[in-house]
Amino acid sequence: MIDHFAILPCNGLDKCAGLISRELALKLCESAENEILCPVFYRVSDKKYNKIASERPLLVIDGCLTRCASKLAAEKGLKITKKIIIAEEAKGHGIKLNDNLRITDQEQSLLETLFDELNKNDDNIVPPPSESAMSCEFLYETFQNGKFIFRIPKNGEVFFNENDCWAYVIGNRARIGVTDFVQQNLSDILYFTPPEIGAEIDQFGELGEIESSKSVFELVSPVSGKVISINEKLVGKPELLNENPYELGWVAEIELTKFEDDKELLIGFDKYFEIMKKKVEEING
Amino acid sequence: MSETTFMGVERSLINWKPTIDYSKCDYCMECVEFCPHKVFEVRENEEIRLIVKNPDNCVVFCRACSKTCGVDALSFPDKNMTTQRIKEIRKEMETHD
Repeated sequence: MIDHFAILPCNGLDKCAGLISRELALKLCESAENEILCPVFYRVSDKKYNKIASERPLLVIDGCLTRCASKLAAEKGLKITKKIIIAEEAKGHGIKLNDNLRITDQEQSLLETLFDELNKNDDNIVPPPSESAMSCEFLYETFQNGKFIFRIPKNGEVFFNENDCWAYVIGNRARIGVTDFVQQNLSDILYFTPPEIGAEIDQFGELGEIESSKSVFELVSPVSGKVISINEKLVGKPELLNENPYELGWVAEIELTKFEDDKELLIGFDKYFEIMKKKVEEING
Repeated sequence: MSETTFMGVERSLINWKPTIDYSKCDYCMECVEFCPHKVFEVRENEEIRLIVKNPDNCVVFCRACSKTCGVDALSFPDKNMTTQRIKEIRKEMETHD
């Protein structure tokens, strides 16, 4: 149930998805003790909304993938508790939104569905429980570029892909995460969208998203298999990824299905260390 | 500069780049601003004002620009097919060695 939330929606005057975002925010406020943060007014004045934004959990409702509301939350330094993107929800429900700024029957139906879903789910904040059975101990090599220090695990059990993701493999399981390169490059990480438990993921498939004020990073899975666990702490505290993307900020655990095949397109510490150093030098000089 | 190889395969042999759907693109240029690899080029005075200028600069399996596109105008090749093709090319390379 969405109750006693601060709700930051899209302004809703550029695309139909935005208009749904705005209407959904209004409906959520009419039905419970929620409060809207007007994105236009908030951009020019902090005073009216600062108190409520700091005291309540925040629901961000983006209209489209431009994510204006999320970007505003980042600018204001707000912690996002829950968010949805109307355009993505429409896709998920098989609805093609119209091109103008009027809500027709199908948009109204989507609006009602999303309202019900937001209020039905008791797991809005706490994700479904999952068991983590892995114990990983990392050994590191570090290198420094300017003020930035990068740590890279050098254990033989840790494999990498060239998309800056690692897999710590024990038996038929792997714990997956991103390297220091990703978290330094994204800077302050604001939101983590985990993969679904039980999802079957191919090698290089998407294993969740990490979002900062700068960008959205799609986690490219180094291995294929079934998601058996996610890092639940990361859902509530995505900043753990900046603090330590290995012990604290790991993303998910996978039951491996084709690891021997996957190995062909994985690299070990020596090779990844060189690739990462090169990338850092290309970016920072 | 961008990578010249991916998993040992020459980058130009891997078909991985964004495709712009011009029937959807509204030329907001968010993708241009976002992509640090200069994959896109703006052509202000032409009818088609945005093109994929440097496809080989695109990081293989990265789809981040499409996640900034408000009108969903950017698409990428199928990841599984790309993975298979990379494996085939690596096999061909081994055979030639």
